[in-house]
Amino acid sequence: MKIVVTVKQVPDTNAEKTFDPANNRLNRSTIENVLNPFDEYAIEEALRLKEKLGGDTTVTVLTMAPESGRDVVRKALAMGADSAALLSDAAVGGSDAMATAYALAQALKKTGFDLILTGTQSTDAICSIVPAAIAEHLGVPCLTFAKKVTVSDGAIEVQRETESGYLRVSAPLPALVSVTKSANEPRYPSLKGIMGAKKKEIAPLSLADIGADTALLGDPGSRTRVTAIAPVGPRPKGTVITAADATEGARAVIDFLVAKKVI
Amino acid sequence: MNALVIFVEQEQGALRRIGFEMASKGAEIAKVLAIPSVAVVLGAGANVAAEQLKSTPVDIIAAGEDVPVEKYLLDPAVDALEALLKEKGPSYVLFPASNAGKDLAARVAVRLNAGVITEATELSVVDGTLVAQSPKFGGSAIATIDFKDSTYAVVLCRPNSFAARKEPGKGELITLAAPAGKTYVAVIEERVAQEAGAVGVDEASVVVSGGRGLGGPEHFDIIEALAAALGGAVGASRAAVDAGWISHSHQVGQTGKSVAPQLYIACGISGAIQHKVGMRSSGTIVAINKDPNAPIFEFCDLGVVGDIFQIVPALTQLVKERKGTG
Repeated sequence: MKIVVTVKQVPDTNAEKTFDPANNRLNRSTIENVLNPFDEYAIEEALRLKEKLGGDTTVTVLTMAPESGRDVVRKALAMGADSAALLSDAAVGGSDAMATAYALAQALKKTGFDLILTGTQSTDAICSIVPAAIAEHLGVPCLTFAKKVTVSDGAIEVQRETESGYLRVSAPLPALVSVTKSANEPRYPSLKGIMGAKKKEIAPLSLADIGADTALLGDPGSRTRVTAIAPVGPRPKGTVITAADATEGARAVIDFLVAKKVI
Repeated sequence: MNALVIFVEQEQGALRRIGFEMASKGAEIAKVLAIPSVAVVLGAGANVAAEQLKSTPVDIIAAGEDVPVEKYLLDPAVDALEALLKEKGPSYVLFPASNAGKDLAARVAVRLNAGVITEATELSVVDGTLVAQSPKFGGSAIATIDFKDSTYAVVLCRPNSFAARKEPGKGELITLAAPAGKTYVAVIEERVAQEAGAVGVDEASVVVSGGRGLGGPEHFDIIEALAAALGGAVGASRAAVDAGWISHSHQVGQTGKSVAPQLYIACGISGAIQHKVGMRSSGTIVAINKDPNAPIFEFCDLGVVGDIFQIVPALTQLVKERKGTG
């Protein structure tokens, strides 16, 4: 079985963000990029499925990024993925989430797959729409927000988180599953894994390789447009008091809430 | 655009507050654009839900009682929405930023080649077109976004962003038929309700969160009691979730939910950046922590240095007295 995990490089949450006033895009060159924390759950789930299913099960990592994406992919390989593919092309710069999903779907047609695993969202854009859009482009069952994944005999079953509990959903493979944080605890790359990752192949993919229509990508292919972006200033520091006892502390809070008219 | 369509989630006739919020905002935007607003409810209970939507200012309520969304995961809803939107022609479409709403928005948008704006916290009309505001990078920046080259335009709306108005509109009822001649393979085998009726942490107007300072799962009862007294939801920091004290659905922060309630009370939470990005947009932030150096005191509106085990129950009592429920 071929499992493909889509991953994204994201700016470190702690990094100071600046934006290019010419196109309202993030200045990605000045900040450290990391593997999207949500994607680690998908990688871990893929590795666990591989360990469980054995045989000819392989785990491939796919990302769309500039050349710097190699570092992020390398971490996935160090965790234990077998191979990687890096879709890199100047024409994809400025793609919004929907255009990104189109490009990834085209790349997945090229790599082939039985099961696509993704994170549920990225920490930078927080859109959560790329997984479902990929599934729709590929016409495969879309099983998102899974906290438990079971594969057997060409079929898949997941527990899908809802706002009030979960749904147990089954579907035939091939399928796409996005994996939530509740599914597992991602492993740390071992020293052996880190060394081994250096020898693993990261296959370059271009838009020509995957037969993508450039009119549907990058800025021209994006149907949304960021017309302005403004950093949010720090919240002004409020009042901090030290409570002598419980009554005083509780009274200070209730007086504040009443004054603020929140209760 | 010919119409503004609002997808409202319902379960056995019950609506979440976000449905009323979106119906109110959607109708307001549609009125400015001089196009009809259409609320859509699907699945068993849709007719009951439709009756409730009559209290909102929408023009048309489309109910698809027979669309089998309880049996198959979202596929019938995608088909029903696609059919309705093709019939209406160029439209704005609003979805709630819930798990199902996000999937539906993405899939309908692929079918109709629509743009998607996610996590909208404000909608307005500028020069005859819809413009949204959306927080990005963990709320550290606010983007202003509009559509280009879009016949259809999809917006995901964040809970707690718009006021729900009780102001009946035309409320004309129409029936949506189940998609004909379709087979679906993603089968819902079982529906497990774990916290039936509980308001989710991302749509509550008050969130009371507990963190590492609680010391163990057995102490979450003081958080639950304060949340209940305030009519709010229980949140948690990553530390509390990772320790297994409470389920992930309560987690606020980078790898949990982003919330923006009117009031956020952090109890025994240090306030690491990963927590901050999930709650910094809250209206009022109150922090109670015994550590005077906790980072949370740098960005709360009121900080109380003290013992949560003493202060939180005392506060619960004062809230009850104030509300006349003590």
